[in-house]
Amino acid sequence: MGYARFLAKRGLQGLFVVWAVVTVVFALRYITPGDPVAFIAPLDAGPELRQAIAESYGLDEPLYVQYGRYLWDLAHLDMGQSYARGTSVSAEVLGALPVSLELAVASTVVAVVISVPLGVVSAVNHRQPTDYAATTLSLVGISTPNFWLGVMLVLLLAVQFNVFPTSGLAEVNGETVLFVDALRHLVVGETRWLVEWLAHITLPAVTLGTYFTALVTRLTRSGMLEELGESYVTALRAKGLPEALVRYRHALKNTLIPVVTVLGLQLGTLVGGAVITERVFDLPGLGSLLIDAINQQQWMILQGCLIIVSGGFVVVNTAVDALYAYVSPEVTAE
Amino acid sequence: MSPRTWRNLKREFRRSALAKVGAVLFGGVVLVAVFAPLLAPHNPTAQHLDLEFLPPLGFSASRTVSTTQMVNGSVETVQNTTFVAASPSYPLGTNGLGQGVLSRVIYGARTSLVVGLLGVLVAAVIGVPVGLTAGFYGGNVDDALMRAADVMLAFPSLVLAVSLVGLFGTATIEVPDPWVALGLAPNMPPTFTIPGTVVLVVGLVNWVWLARIARGEALTVSEEEYVKAARSIGASDVHVVRKHVFPNALTPILVLATTQVAAIILLESSLSFLGFSGTTLSWGFNIQNGQSYLAEAWWVATFSGIGIVLAVMSVNFLGDWFRDALDPGVEGEGGV
Repeated sequence: MGYARFLAKRGLQGLFVVWAVVTVVFALRYITPGDPVAFIAPLDAGPELRQAIAESYGLDEPLYVQYGRYLWDLAHLDMGQSYARGTSVSAEVLGALPVSLELAVASTVVAVVISVPLGVVSAVNHRQPTDYAATTLSLVGISTPNFWLGVMLVLLLAVQFNVFPTSGLAEVNGETVLFVDALRHLVVGETRWLVEWLAHITLPAVTLGTYFTALVTRLTRSGMLEELGESYVTALRAKGLPEALVRYRHALKNTLIPVVTVLGLQLGTLVGGAVITERVFDLPGLGSLLIDAINQQQWMILQGCLIIVSGGFVVVNTAVDALYAYVSPEVTAE
Repeated sequence: MSPRTWRNLKREFRRSALAKVGAVLFGGVVLVAVFAPLLAPHNPTAQHLDLEFLPPLGFSASRTVSTTQMVNGSVETVQNTTFVAASPSYPLGTNGLGQGVLSRVIYGARTSLVVGLLGVLVAAVIGVPVGLTAGFYGGNVDDALMRAADVMLAFPSLVLAVSLVGLFGTATIEVPDPWVALGLAPNMPPTFTIPGTVVLVVGLVNWVWLARIARGEALTVSEEEYVKAARSIGASDVHVVRKHVFPNALTPILVLATTQVAAIILLESSLSFLGFSGTTLSWGFNIQNGQSYLAEAWWVATFSGIGIVLAVMSVNFLGDWFRDALDPGVEGEGGV
């Protein structure tokens, strides 16, 4: 099977999953207790008001009409109006998205920057103190709940020693600073924005990144150990290639392919971890939006969050598969 | 369990230090969970507002109280800093309601363990039959069931769990505590709260992993000669799956189920931390509670987290032990 056919097949599969996800989310509203009209209407609303509300939100129409309109709107990137606030759900979700994305990317960077070298050092010094230390650390890392780690980091570095702020987004002159803003100011030579941004993102990124650091350290270590035992490594050494080249140019390169795949597969854990990390550090991202929506019974916002999170997850997974098939062509052969 | 399995387990146990650590730790968590009412020094739900924020043994805490007084005819706010000494009867201190942290950590072990084990049971009851059916029949049945699994996997487990618990509410099951019923722990809560919705939901979001492993095993086993032989003499599908496919798939299922217990304990504590639990006797709840006053009482959030780390680590070690002992084909990750 050629790469193009593989892509087409995988793309169709992804599209199917997205449709199914969207449908499951739609169905959730009807199988959960609670009448959607009751979410919007005031407690003392009479039957006429309820009827009017149902009509204005299209909740009185047959289910298939509602479902059809829902799909049609989604196809036009319209996720409807929030019942309670009357704001556009798409705007709310898109407003929260950058905060979550930033957190996810920053924690992935933290994880990769620490874990890959640590895994390599561990494998190269197999069964030596460095190796044992790295292995023990990563064992503790995969067993630590990230929210508790976050609380402990705040306790130590924000409350006791006041090195980092306890929570919230960076602010300069009363305006929130995201990474793009920091970059924009950095270009004109102002570093304050970047410093503020770094101060606020560090603890959340470490909190969310620790599990992945531990996981990828373990993967890199076992992958490197395996690769270093392969006969091609012996051949490379025999022909006199410097050890550094053998290790990093050849063995490490082959180790990283499965590592990237696992990172792609663990994306769901990353998103889930982001939800809870945002709660610990009071960041206004998708996770906070989702939890608030649940607590305030804001169905439309919850629906929007679920669709964006799961849809995004499917898209990224499909992309990782496509990339993986590209770097190791035997995958397309199945 | 076959004698060979048993022998492999014992050999690996002798060889691996982590397996021993895991067994001891996990045994400890189980004992604490089972005997919680006998071990806890105080009732974990009883409030003593006069005993709030006692520090753990070996630490002291200062508290600043502002009072408004008349001083020389004018109203002034006077700040009094008092020192609070630790009390030997509360070795890990107390929280803002004067509840013993140690007692709450002990009862938290119960909730974590019960949700971990029941949750994995729910996941297995759904996932294993689905996986075995998919793998055994293959073809369209397999495709349909595995696509359903793909859809499940598209929802990050914590996001799905939070949404489901949020939408369906937190129903609980009150189970009478046998120790209290026997009169051995008269001051302890008479019932133990099992967060029912949480158990169902953590099972629901995790069944896919068990289904996938069961399917893989069933696919391989269905091709074996003895399965073909059993079918050729007219054995029914149900009989073949029960007598031949399931027993052969059991070992990898058990290995995976063990790691799932760790994942579910983490998921339960995350749910409790976010306020979707149904019981307050949970490590995650204690941490959420302690986060609000980190500056005054660091101990409230700290000790419950140590409980989680130890419990999850013990289960992970057991999982590694089972995997290394029973599944030599799978490359071990650790191997200290």
